[in-house]
Amino acid sequence: MSLDTPWDGSRSHRRRARPARRRWRSRFDVKAMPYFLVSPYFLLFAAFGLFPLAFTLYYSLYDYDLAGTTEWTGLGNYTALLGDEDFWRAVVNTVAMFFIATVPQMLFALFLANALNKRFKFRLAIRMSVLLPLVTSVVAVAVVFTQLFARDWGLVNWILSWFGVDAVNWRAERVPSWLAIATMVDWRWTGYNAIIFLAGMQTIPRDLYEAAAIDGASRRRQFWQITLPMLRPTLIFVVLNSTIGGLTLFSEPTTFYGGNVDGGSQGQFQTVAMFIVKQGFREFDYGYAAAAAWLLFLLILIGAAINFLFVRRIGGTK
Amino acid sequence: MTNWSPTVFTRVMLALAIVLSAFPLYWMLVIASRTNADAVAVPPPFLPGGNLGDNIIAVLNNEDAKFLLGLTNSFIVAATVTVSVVIISTLAGFSFANLTFKGRNVLLVLVLLTMAVPLQQMGVVPLYRLMVSLEWTGTLKAVILPYLLNGFGVFLMTQYTRQAVPMELVEAARVDGAATLRIWWNVVLPAVRPGMAVLGINTFMLMWNDFMWPLIVLTPDNPTVQIAITSLNARFSTNYTLIFAGTALSIIPLVAVFIAFGRQIVGGLMEGAVKA
Amino acid sequence: MMISKRRGLTAASVLAAAALTVASCSSGGGGTSQSSAPASSGAAEPVTIRVQTFGGGSNFGYKNAITKWNAEHKDIQIKEEHLTDQFEQQYWPQMIQWLTSGTGAGDVVGIDEGGMGLAKAHPEWWADLKEYGLDSRKADFPAWKWENGVTADGKVFGLGTDIGGMSLCYRADLFKKAGLPSERDKVSALWPTWDEFIKVGQQFQGKVKDTKWTDGTNTLYQVYLYQEAAKNGNVTYFDQQNNLIVDKNPAVKNAFDFASKMSQQGLTAKLRNFTDEWAAGTQKGAFATVGCPSWMLGVVSGNAGDGGKGKWDVAAVPGGGGNWGGSWLAVPKQSKHPKEAAMVADYLTQAQTEASIFTDFGNMPSNTKAQQDPAVQGAKNEFFNDAPIGEIFAKSAASLQPVFLGVKHAQVKNAIESVIQGMDDGSVPYDKAWQQLVDDAVKAAG
Repeated sequence: MSLDTPWDGSRSHRRRARPARRRWRSRFDVKAMPYFLVSPYFLLFAAFGLFPLAFTLYYSLYDYDLAGTTEWTGLGNYTALLGDEDFWRAVVNTVAMFFIATVPQMLFALFLANALNKRFKFRLAIRMSVLLPLVTSVVAVAVVFTQLFARDWGLVNWILSWFGVDAVNWRAERVPSWLAIATMVDWRWTGYNAIIFLAGMQTIPRDLYEAAAIDGASRRRQFWQITLPMLRPTLIFVVLNSTIGGLTLFSEPTTFYGGNVDGGSQGQFQTVAMFIVKQGFREFDYGYAAAAAWLLFLLILIGAAINFLFVRRIGGTK
Repeated sequence: MTNWSPTVFTRVMLALAIVLSAFPLYWMLVIASRTNADAVAVPPPFLPGGNLGDNIIAVLNNEDAKFLLGLTNSFIVAATVTVSVVIISTLAGFSFANLTFKGRNVLLVLVLLTMAVPLQQMGVVPLYRLMVSLEWTGTLKAVILPYLLNGFGVFLMTQYTRQAVPMELVEAARVDGAATLRIWWNVVLPAVRPGMAVLGINTFMLMWNDFMWPLIVLTPDNPTVQIAITSLNARFSTNYTLIFAGTALSIIPLVAVFIAFGRQIVGGLMEGAVKA
Repeated sequence: MMISKRRGLTAASVLAAAALTVASCSSGGGGTSQSSAPASSGAAEPVTIRVQTFGGGSNFGYKNAITKWNAEHKDIQIKEEHLTDQFEQQYWPQMIQWLTSGTGAGDVVGIDEGGMGLAKAHPEWWADLKEYGLDSRKADFPAWKWENGVTADGKVFGLGTDIGGMSLCYRADLFKKAGLPSERDKVSALWPTWDEFIKVGQQFQGKVKDTKWTDGTNTLYQVYLYQEAAKNGNVTYFDQQNNLIVDKNPAVKNAFDFASKMSQQGLTAKLRNFTDEWAAGTQKGAFATVGCPSWMLGVVSGNAGDGGKGKWDVAAVPGGGGNWGGSWLAVPKQSKHPKEAAMVADYLTQAQTEASIFTDFGNMPSNTKAQQDPAVQGAKNEFFNDAPIGEIFAKSAASLQPVFLGVKHAQVKNAIESVIQGMDDGSVPYDKAWQQLVDDAVKAAG
């Protein structure tokens, strides 16, 4: 860029009286400063984003061994992964837990937000208490839930025994283990999402409801025909967030098995993120772990796209 | 306006939601305040016992538990990352929202793309090997550095700044001869503070709860609080009261902050959610 | 319900100010790990030697020995870091990660027999204890125990701690309740063979509800496997050339069949050993017997707590003899204080130390001088109803046949035991378990 060219007619006129050095500085300020301001992000991204991505790709093309040998394998890790039933089991676990957790979570959160949107005393206290799970630490809570779901003396099995249900082995049976982990996830995030939905609901003009009420629309009808469609941007935000969070699930299932990334004796609840850590840092096959990381990324892109399309259809008849 | 008053059903459901939200935390206190035999008793105890103080002292006195170090480390990590992310995002958000420059839209789309990348999972192998070759494993540097950027933060602050700082305001300041950084400091920062607060709270929580990366890159003798709980769990496998006292201790700081700033946090979250 | 901007500002600035204060305090990366502390600078600053161990209950039994050392050595203080109960699943992979990355490992680390093959194959991980004069210790150990701690290029890296030996721990009080003999010699006479052991188990479970005959499939599988290995060339999953022989070695199949049989007959409490539920199950009396190599005595007593004192006892194991487990201590090369670490490893494996560990907790010494110590041979264990453990384990120590374990034994063991546990907890069908065991072993061996 030429410094002699005036940046902008009106401005150069205004600054004509100033000394040249100062003018240069202000030109620099206008032209270069925007780049300067966004540069920290991009520099850091290059160092801690681009670099790892490129190297993950690089590592994924090599075969690493516990003994420390490295061997070029091309796409070998990827083809091996696609034929590895442990990997697919981790994918199924991850997707299943995501669904089991997310669907009720969204429904409860919407319901809760709708309830919170009414007039109450102690409104702040109530809103704070549904947010409380979020500020607790995730591992601490997983420890508590793990004890609640213990097979022999857990509270949950004790309550189930009132209804004649035999002790459930929550860490051995696949579907129950998913339920237990989904419960932890939902406990943590439902209140938070409800607050986000609530914020969205409050931007909906109230006269819309009043008009609908005059037209004789029931509350339920109002919810489906006004609230939900108007909430769509918020829904997209929340669903995309839950998708990324759900598909990279790690803390809860790991803590559920005593900090062990195996996820049950037969990987009953091992997620893809746990699979990556197991391959990379328990088996020391960095290449295999790197390839799995790329497949996880693919999974997230697919998941995000499906959810995005799905949510866009919700209340499409605005 | 009867539409806006809750039905009995709504009230009951809300009460239930509150009870369910609080129960695991209450349960944590019940076990943490009892003896080890009570923890595995059937039927389980439902009221707190009298040993909370003793159990917490036992955790704090236990050299292996490293609880205070874990709390301090977590605070250092979360606070450093929060400050960095908030500053970087606010600067970039201002630039994207209020300044015109070549390639702005391209760069903004790039930021959006980086948001979809689960860096923590994607980068785990090379980042670990990088930390090993820098001999940074086991140090907090290794936990902090990869998190200093956050695409979501830049996106949030761009959106927020767009809504909170009208272009006319920036133009007017320029006409008055203010340099870009001065505009940022005097005009933009005061207007986007609520957005910064939301981003700050979010980032702080995210880092406080970070687990996978510290589990890989740290060692139990220099843990974050999540790692300290995990080691406590592994080392004292049958000592439930000790483990629960430790976990209770680990959530107290955040809960205290939450109660102190509850109004701001709830309000900030809601405002941020709408504006972003 | 929007917050006022000023309040948001306060919250944010308080947070930011606090953060900046802390961040500036922590410049330099924060977190001081002892290993990065400068090397011993004179007598003023005592050197701390971190000893990392694994195993449940009292694990290596170092508590009293360390207290004694620390009282006598103001300049070198030992700090035991018991990392986890589980060796193959957690301790060893974590240790490998630290050893290859160059930080994290203690100054002295415990290694189970299952990890020794790999440890031996990586001389670059370890300090050479010869440099600190510890090759003089050779005469203290049986040849096999010593040789296992020496790498192919002659580096001495591991000193023997304990050996397994074999016995069976049982709940005398529950035996009485079931109308069975509870006195240890009579109990031993109940089960010369494993078939009889199973029969007594059925009898027991017919009488006592809420308590299963044994803890799970995995502990007795391991006991059985080592007995069978002795009949099949002293190998288990790998032959001496490190080829995987899981599907060819009859010892593995026989042990598997035994585990499967116990599980199918419902004699197990379905608890995997060294998990927290297993440990709590010991405390709660969820099972009446558990396979007991010498070091398991400390695990059982530690897990059961004071409430279990006098209820447990020790009898002979069905099928006679066997060995399972036993560990070594090594000094990782990354230790900043290898000399002091070598002194500590030396101390912890001395005859006197190993003898006192045996009398205090039950881990049978590998040090032959300790084995011959009258205090060891006459030792009784208070927790186990004053069982004459010296007599019980000295016998098995004398007849002990070392079993060869391959380089990747720990990885394969974990995979196999996961299948055996899965069979017990219902996640692997009995008729598919053997095939899966073989497949998973192949996979784990890489």
